[in-house]
Amino acid sequence: MKPSKRSFRGAIGRRGFVRTLMGAAVASPFASLLRPDLARAAGGGARRLLVFYFPDGVAGRSQDGDASLWEARASGGRITLSEQLEPLAGFEDRCVFLNGLQMGSADEGSHPGGAKKLLTNVDGGNGMSLDQFLASSVGRGAPFPHLYLGAQATVNGASGDKFISYPTAGTPTPPEDDPRRAFSRLFDGTVVAPTPGSPTTDPAVELELGRQRSVLDVHLAELADLRTRLGGAERRKLDVHLESLRSVERSLDRTEMPPVPPPTSSSCDDPRLAYDVSDETRFEASVFGRILDAQMDVMVQAMACGLTQVGVIQGGHHTSELIMSRIPGSEMYDPGFDMRSHQASHYGARHDRSNRNFVDYLAQRRWWVGKYRALLERLAAIPEGDGSMLDYTLVLFCTEVSDGNTHSHHDMPFVLAGNAAGTIATGRVMETGGRRHGDLLAALATAMGEPLAGFGWESREALPGLITG
Amino acid sequence: MAAGCREGGEPAGPRSDLPPRTFDAAGYYAAECAFCHGGAGQGRRGPALAPWAGARDELIASIDETMPFSDPSECTGRCAEAVADHVLSLSGELDCSAPPSAPRRLRLLTRREHAATVRDLFAPLGGGTTPSADPCTDGTTFRFTPSRAVSSVSVAGSFNGWDASAWPMRDEGGTWTLTRVVPEGSYEYKFVLDGSEWVPDPSATATTPDGFGGVNSVVVVRCGGAGPGVGVTIPDPTTGLPPETRPEAYPFDLQADDGIVTLVHATEYLSAAKRVADALGDSVAQLVPGSDRPGFVRTFGRRAFRRPLSDAEVGRYVELANLESDENAARRLIVRGLLASPVFLYRSEVGVLDGRQYRLDGYEMASALSYGLLGTTPPDALLDAAARGELDSDEGVRRTAESLLADPRARDTLRVFARQWLGLDAIGELSRETSLATRQKLREATERFVAGVLLDGGSFEDLLTARAIPADGEVAAHYGVSAPSTPWSDVELPSERHAGVLGHASVQLRYAHSDQTSPIARGVFVRRRLLCQEFAPPPPDAGGVPDVDPSATTRERFRQHTENERCASCHQYIDDLGFAFEGFDQEGHVRSEERGLPIDTSGTLRDVNGFGTRTDDSLAGIADLGVALSQSRAAQDCFATQWWRWAHGAPEKEAEECLVRDVASEFRRSDRDLRGLLVDVLASPRFRVRGEAMEVMP
Repeated sequence: MKPSKRSFRGAIGRRGFVRTLMGAAVASPFASLLRPDLARAAGGGARRLLVFYFPDGVAGRSQDGDASLWEARASGGRITLSEQLEPLAGFEDRCVFLNGLQMGSADEGSHPGGAKKLLTNVDGGNGMSLDQFLASSVGRGAPFPHLYLGAQATVNGASGDKFISYPTAGTPTPPEDDPRRAFSRLFDGTVVAPTPGSPTTDPAVELELGRQRSVLDVHLAELADLRTRLGGAERRKLDVHLESLRSVERSLDRTEMPPVPPPTSSSCDDPRLAYDVSDETRFEASVFGRILDAQMDVMVQAMACGLTQVGVIQGGHHTSELIMSRIPGSEMYDPGFDMRSHQASHYGARHDRSNRNFVDYLAQRRWWVGKYRALLERLAAIPEGDGSMLDYTLVLFCTEVSDGNTHSHHDMPFVLAGNAAGTIATGRVMETGGRRHGDLLAALATAMGEPLAGFGWESREALPGLITG
Repeated sequence: MAAGCREGGEPAGPRSDLPPRTFDAAGYYAAECAFCHGGAGQGRRGPALAPWAGARDELIASIDETMPFSDPSECTGRCAEAVADHVLSLSGELDCSAPPSAPRRLRLLTRREHAATVRDLFAPLGGGTTPSADPCTDGTTFRFTPSRAVSSVSVAGSFNGWDASAWPMRDEGGTWTLTRVVPEGSYEYKFVLDGSEWVPDPSATATTPDGFGGVNSVVVVRCGGAGPGVGVTIPDPTTGLPPETRPEAYPFDLQADDGIVTLVHATEYLSAAKRVADALGDSVAQLVPGSDRPGFVRTFGRRAFRRPLSDAEVGRYVELANLESDENAARRLIVRGLLASPVFLYRSEVGVLDGRQYRLDGYEMASALSYGLLGTTPPDALLDAAARGELDSDEGVRRTAESLLADPRARDTLRVFARQWLGLDAIGELSRETSLATRQKLREATERFVAGVLLDGGSFEDLLTARAIPADGEVAAHYGVSAPSTPWSDVELPSERHAGVLGHASVQLRYAHSDQTSPIARGVFVRRRLLCQEFAPPPPDAGGVPDVDPSATTRERFRQHTENERCASCHQYIDDLGFAFEGFDQEGHVRSEERGLPIDTSGTLRDVNGFGTRTDDSLAGIADLGVALSQSRAAQDCFATQWWRWAHGAPEKEAEECLVRDVASEFRRSDRDLRGLLVDVLASPRFRVRGEAMEVMP
């Protein structure tokens, strides 16, 4: 496949989007869970949000009370990484290590319960997730308001409780597991993202745009018909459909620069995908790392091309049967012994280094942190403004439980990277003292220019002290 | 869901010390217990509590120590007493006096349904064998180019009684052809080479298993509605669509509640509709020959929407087509619009107001029957029957459902049902030594087995006790038996496998790990899929799979489950069922020992009819398990329930359990008539009566 090169001309103000969107958010069924912070001037320094999810927790506080082996510590202006976080060495200054956030007690002890709360902060996933909220607000002007990519995240007939992105209360959506398909959807010029150009250049393009608009008009009218015949849950379903068609419609009218342009004039010169996993082997553990690498590449290039501002990468899924001991080149590689992610996470009641599960679990966690670091490196390598894309992108590292054996929903292991154009002081450890993680989600929205004083349940303010400038 | 004995909704301090006066036990029960135990204590995913057979103290102690499952420390002391007293006041009877109805809903086509629909909408344009301009007068042309020299080719099929000599074809320069008038309908056929070799039509757009291990080709003939064969290849419109999001513990890809159109879906639908329309080229002219644009919209639109279009709807598509001056381009644009339309994408189960309830109309019934039994869009004949009012009566619906079961596509659909019911859709994603191709073959054998039992006069007991399975050479080799003379005819399995699907390697290897069996996964499979009994997830500190230990058998490594009282509260119902399968390794091969240690497959099937029913059966292995299950009311009811879930596209909500019970008791009354069940669920008046969608958590 040949990637199409994109060019953008002109610019449109994005404040307009923000205003309309707040209106939309307030009118939505989730209004009660979103608390717009009217006192705060709109406008954070972050241009993008990228969530990096990995499954099955970390070696936190053990069942028998061994102290957490996850948390980073700060003393004397220096950050000491834990052995699980050690692959972030050299990137400490670009990160905020958030200790002590909790997701509440409902369904505590369960992986699905945690996955449902992770980005919604509503028990049972009964609310819109942060990524979807931002996609439908600040991010909605982008050609792809939301990009959700997975690595073996939808395998084994994965039911909805494995996914973390909720476009509407109670109903999650699955990620795209195939890097090839994701890449071609983004870069092969589909209906959603015709190459922008001035309105009168090519009559054939104009004719095709006209067809697309007219087709959408018919469908919008049909949706309106259906909507009058239905109530309740079915109407909410149609509302999601309607918003999706509106997004398509907006993309057709976009003839100028997307709201968040490519960082530099050359950052989108040559999008490409290096990926050679065959359809027959794509479920094997041995190719898992290659799929994840490819998805990270696709995500970073999509952002570098101004195609999306809001992305989620889901590595695997919780209670994973992924045989991590079959990932070649990794610390836990052992072709003679199968060690699955979920299996290792149940390492026992104590941190026992003579226990193979525990040792493998630590190695697996380090592998995930290493992948997160690789993602940060990719972003840091692309210039933007005075620095790099990482300076304008919030990259959240998260999983659905804290300790993998106890499945606690307290002391959740969140790491945030990116300084949001200098408005978030990095190189810190933040002790949050048991605050609800919705406060972090609200702060991320705020940093994205969507000021919120709470996100989801029992969250009443954006995490104080996170945004410093 | 509020968690904990609390006031107001805020977490309270030491919760067990709340004064009873301020504690709302009924509210607490509803929020924390009813999801598993049912609002009336009748049992749902979890055991029935009412009427409570034991002592009050026993109940209090049980709540105090083990409940709620997610945090047993949450409700102790007075909280446990108050909740126990509430439980003791419950009847245990689900109130079915005011019959509920299933919700009005829109059901997003699954990828499977979507692909089949598009395939069938354009089947008349397929290359090779196709009906012509008006096949009912001009005939249907069969074409076949053999890859080797043959002296004769004929067509044999359901239209000529499978007579190999009735319809000889003519050799036209290497391609053999024959045109015959075939009445409207759907037919199976094969080509017969040299009077003896039966082969399917490689150009057929649809096939169906022939019952002998191969496939029959399918041709659909529609009067007045098709053009000459033009060799159009229609792309699969679903290749870019995300997978379905299944609710927890719901086995099927159907998504009546959870199918939503995200931006990814919307863009895929639009681009796929364009790809399909573009692929039509000028053959679009033959889709509805002789029509003007409004006529085209009405005729093709009725197929796409599975109902007639209103004048306003026709007007929209005619207006859309005004963008194009070229006639074929105009029609392609109409097709493109129709194929991404919300009306096309959602199966309507909305109904029309009839008194105080809604009732699905004849067209909606045509769709429900067609997708439920054939997995595809209703053919013209079925829409015509709806137009004539034949689906307005219960008898008409029943008759139609019965006739659809005779369609070859019903067998394909039941194979999909079997695959998903048994969880075998994941068989390709496992890490096993058995090759992917072999695993798929093993699955196919199980699917054919189940569909055969359902359609060919098998009994419910056969599903769990049968001794034979359809096999080809590869499947027979895996089972260590000699291959049947005709592929996919039945072979007798070795005696240790005489237990219906329980004896199938597909099931055994699906529920295992890469390096060991999984008695837990197998036991849960039996409870969940065959008995419809659910468990809460293991408690936080449960621990995972014990490590492989060379000095112990798998069974021995799981001993903690029965030694630890808390584990045993659930695992007493699970592990022994899994141990019954220990004679089969993670590849589904028979084994008599594990690393030199003897295997023990004996155990107890505890409380088969529901936790707490105190019925124990002792088992020596899967054969006993199959017999005990097949004779249990729970397994019979569960099978009916699974078919109800398939037909409705969603798990039953608590209020809908009354509907499910009706279906299950009818199934029992009919002496477990399997074909009757397949028809009853869809043809029952209860299916078509609908209420407003319930705004409740599942």
